[in-house]
Amino acid sequence: MAKTSAAQHDDHAPNVKLYMGVFAALMVLTVVTVWISKFHLSIGSAVALGMFVASVKAGLVAAVFMHLWGEKKLIYYALGLTVFFGAFLVIGLIDARLTRGNVTTPMDVKAQGPAHAPAHGEAPAEAGAHH
Amino acid sequence: MSAITMENPDTHSGISNAKLGVWLFLASEIMLFATLFTTYIVLRMGSVAWPWGWDVLNVPLAMANTFVLISSSVTIVLAYVGVYNKSKSQFRLWMGATLALSFVFLAIKAVEYGAKFEHGISPATSVFYAVYFTMTGLHGLHVIGGIVLNAVLLAMSWSDDCWNDPLFLGRIEGAGLYWHFVDVVWIFLFPALYLL
Repeated sequence: MAKTSAAQHDDHAPNVKLYMGVFAALMVLTVVTVWISKFHLSIGSAVALGMFVASVKAGLVAAVFMHLWGEKKLIYYALGLTVFFGAFLVIGLIDARLTRGNVTTPMDVKAQGPAHAPAHGEAPAEAGAHH
Repeated sequence: MSAITMENPDTHSGISNAKLGVWLFLASEIMLFATLFTTYIVLRMGSVAWPWGWDVLNVPLAMANTFVLISSSVTIVLAYVGVYNKSKSQFRLWMGATLALSFVFLAIKAVEYGAKFEHGISPATSVFYAVYFTMTGLHGLHVIGGIVLNAVLLAMSWSDDCWNDPLFLGRIEGAGLYWHFVDVVWIFLFPALYLL
């Protein structure tokens, strides 16, 4: 069967078995992420674990579904540049927070829950208001 | 002219121009969402207290949406397999399934938003909800964009000219790359907003 010109130079031969394996792994990892969150870990441990599992999932999608695994170097260079400049953006903003203290005033957690939302007809201004 | 461009007029780099363009577009999207995630981190670090997702959001619904979006990533890659194998029926089946799952995702999101609005909760309610609505809303707009793109490609498959166009496979791959990116964003949004 004749293949397209696009297919001739940079397509990726599909591997359905691999796609299904990654699909199963992503489903299991989603359950794992939710399961981990039920443990009342310290915020540092919870964020580290949660983001680690999310990164593994994202890596699987990018490597297999997006065919980044075995992709041309030019794509890697473009993404590398993105990460480089993105790091400047992220570190700059977080650094501003660290050097200037809290950027928001304290919030009452309870005031943010649905049970404490203003009833119909009430003024909503106080919900989640600064204390 | 190099050997590559002689054989493949749609490339100057060994990668099709369209595919390179999609990756550069995704690079700009990465910057956009990196900014939003940084905003989330800064606001959260700066808050004395932050609500736990389990207490204020519907985690089971969001988990269901995660399953839906992951499934749609598989169906769109199977649609790519269909075009690769020159099977119109296979392509239409899986691209149709991708569209159906996209609408399921939006429907679940609408239920979630509806419950919030019923309780009088809006982006103005608190910093947490401002972050929640902004991030999930922007992600939702990307889902809608993907639906439009995928629907157009599905409709194009009924035209023999489009189907037989040598660039059609690349178009499906580009659409797939975008859709997988939307999936990757949700993979980070879900734990960040709902679980942590």
